Amino acid sequence: MIAAIFNLNHPAHTVHWHFFTMSVSNVVVILLMLVVFAVAIVAPFPRGRGREPR
Amino acid sequence: MSTTTKRSWTGTVRERAVGALPPEKLLPDKQPAYMASWIYVFGVLSLASFVVIIASGSILTLKGPGWWHFTGTGHFFNSIHLWSVELFFFFMVIHLWGKYWMAAWRGGRAQVWMTGAVAFIVAVPCALTGYVSQQNFDAQWIATQAKDGLNAAGVGAFFNVTNFGQMYSYHVLLLPLAVATLVAAHILLVRKHGIVPPFQLSDAGEPRATNAMPVPDSEPARAAGPGSGDRPTPVPKPAPAPAHGPAEPATIPAEPVP
Repeated sequence: MIAAIFNLNHPAHTVHWHFFTMSVSNVVVILLMLVVFAVAIVAPFPRGRGREPR
Repeated sequence: MSTTTKRSWTGTVRERAVGALPPEKLLPDKQPAYMASWIYVFGVLSLASFVVIIASGSILTLKGPGWWHFTGTGHFFNSIHLWSVELFFFFMVIHLWGKYWMAAWRGGRAQVWMTGAVAFIVAVPCALTGYVSQQNFDAQWIATQAKDGLNAAGVGAFFNVTNFGQMYSYHVLLLPLAVATLVAAHILLVRKHGIVPPFQLSDAGEPRATNAMPVPDSEPARAAGPGSGDRPTPVPKPAPAPAHGPAEPATIPAEPVP
């Protein structure tokens, strides 16, 4: 069997800040969602057919 | 056979359905220009992920745990199912953020907003029951943690997350049916009301602080009435009187007044 790209054979790494605890993977996903959200707002959208003229 | 003109229930349902959602609204071939933004893409990305979830989940259901744990093809479809769920929530959260900050309930779209929000909420236990139905140590760990959480929340008497049969039934039938029904209603309501237009900018350079909140009656969607497609007509508004003295023409160009 092909090994995983990342070694997952260990307990999850976590981020601790006072009472706040979250796995690093969840933090990465949330940050990625914020980045994609920002890019979706500012990135230009290609013009396509079938849309009303501005 | 009666010759009266009393309508059958099928005819009544048909007329109401076509009246609420005529074919040109159900399958439109044009969309407003403001739809040309990436933020409008995440709804259909969520829908595409959901289709992959249902398709891969149906295959997993047919083959069973022995297949998805101990064969290469089973592992593949198990991974497809997992990652489509991850993408479903990823896209749905961004879709939710976008619509929240866009105040997408404007213009008589409250039902559109509510069906989407409830679909998101129902999708959460749908995913949880999937995690505890894996039939492995990961599922056991998640189930015992969830049991403590549900007991602490006071609803542990209604759901036994360590009962595989109960959780599997929830996961492959009841909750997917609920999510699919809500998603279908959400899409039909979007077709009925149209996508929400962006906020109207102040036209004549009035300070935004005096008119920062959207006024529903000023929207073209509201003016067109509920269920009218709600496409805004680019009609320039008359310039309002300046609230705090005349606007500075050097920095704020005057708008043409019809």
